[in-house]
Amino acid sequence: MKIYTGTGDRGKTSLFSGERVSKASARIETYGDLDELNSIIGALVATLAPGHAGLVNELEHIQSILFDISALLATTPDSPAIDQLKSFSLEQFDVLEKAIDAWQKELPELKGFILPGGHLTAAWSHLARTVCRRAERHLVSLLEKSFQSDIPDQYRNAQIYLNRLSDYLFVIARYCNHLSGTPEKLWKK
Amino acid sequence: METDPNIYSTKLLKRRWLSKKSFEIGLEKPSLFSFKPGQRICLIYNTAARDYSMVSTPADNDLILCIRSVKDGMLSPQLSTLTMGTRLNFTGPHGYFTFQPSARPAVFVATCTGLAPFCSIVSSGAADITLCHGVTLAEDLYYADYLRSNVKRYVPCLSNPDESSADYFSGRVTDYLQKHLAPGAYDFYLCGRSEMIRDATLLIDERFPGSFIYAEQYF
Repeated sequence: MKIYTGTGDRGKTSLFSGERVSKASARIETYGDLDELNSIIGALVATLAPGHAGLVNELEHIQSILFDISALLATTPDSPAIDQLKSFSLEQFDVLEKAIDAWQKELPELKGFILPGGHLTAAWSHLARTVCRRAERHLVSLLEKSFQSDIPDQYRNAQIYLNRLSDYLFVIARYCNHLSGTPEKLWKK
Repeated sequence: METDPNIYSTKLLKRRWLSKKSFEIGLEKPSLFSFKPGQRICLIYNTAARDYSMVSTPADNDLILCIRSVKDGMLSPQLSTLTMGTRLNFTGPHGYFTFQPSARPAVFVATCTGLAPFCSIVSSGAADITLCHGVTLAEDLYYADYLRSNVKRYVPCLSNPDESSADYFSGRVTDYLQKHLAPGAYDFYLCGRSEMIRDATLLIDERFPGSFIYAEQYF
């Protein structure tokens, strides 16, 4: 099957729910951020040294969740297509929070703001964290524009997941430096 | 969304030629396999694998696939000659190309064997639709009699000018949409060649704003 279709050559794209929308729309901008985030996590996985299967599995699970959230964002809330999506379970927060706590235990205490960077793996994780924050900002903006009052649980859960994920990526960045023996550099005021 | 698919074992039960190059095959339906009208399977024989949409409905006993025999094709030449009883594998069901009724009129647009998922959808009860089927030769208008009797408007389109007749629209499916479909917002379901999907999508953006598009690209 051809990878190119040409259906987006004039600046529009199709949502999973069938609508044709501008590629500059807030919805596309948001799941574009998630695509970027997913790719950066892929780069992080690719640069991890062998022997970290647990962390790799965790990151690849997150990549799959990001696909689920992207599919949700590619579907308008009232569409019957939403029934075809995997439901986003609250269990995912627990998984992420337990992982944050577990990795955090291995790290020295944080004594101030640290400069993003250090080992290459840590740098990727910091970059992923910042793109995750951007995705969350865009998602919040999209939800505020899309819903007058109550935000449906699925969307709210996606936003909470991204909020938690950026914390996770911060901890992983620190863990990567710790693992490689790369000292963290503190912000000098 | 889709996750890792199950692998099923099946058996070739029948083959029926629909035209010089197209045929349908019947496969044994595993008892645990289910699908929605419009979905496809990935059929596997030896090292070759190819996606095909079901023509049959979920209620039918067998899985019926409509196949175009393509010279140097990955799987179709073998499927056109395999002996009955041959065992094959498949994964699935795949895809989300299913009918989603709405307040907008539905327009199904197919080229060649891209008609397959629409047959399953129509046989499963969708009737209030316009269905355009584009082919080069009239002999490839498979299932024409059935569709003519079971959908609101059936439009066979022949792109070969030598085959023009009052019975068919002479031209491509996109020509038909451009010349004869009244302005408005529709639910378009497009299945078949990538060129048709591209041309139809661009036309819909221009002439039928507010329409929804669901597409399944075959080749």
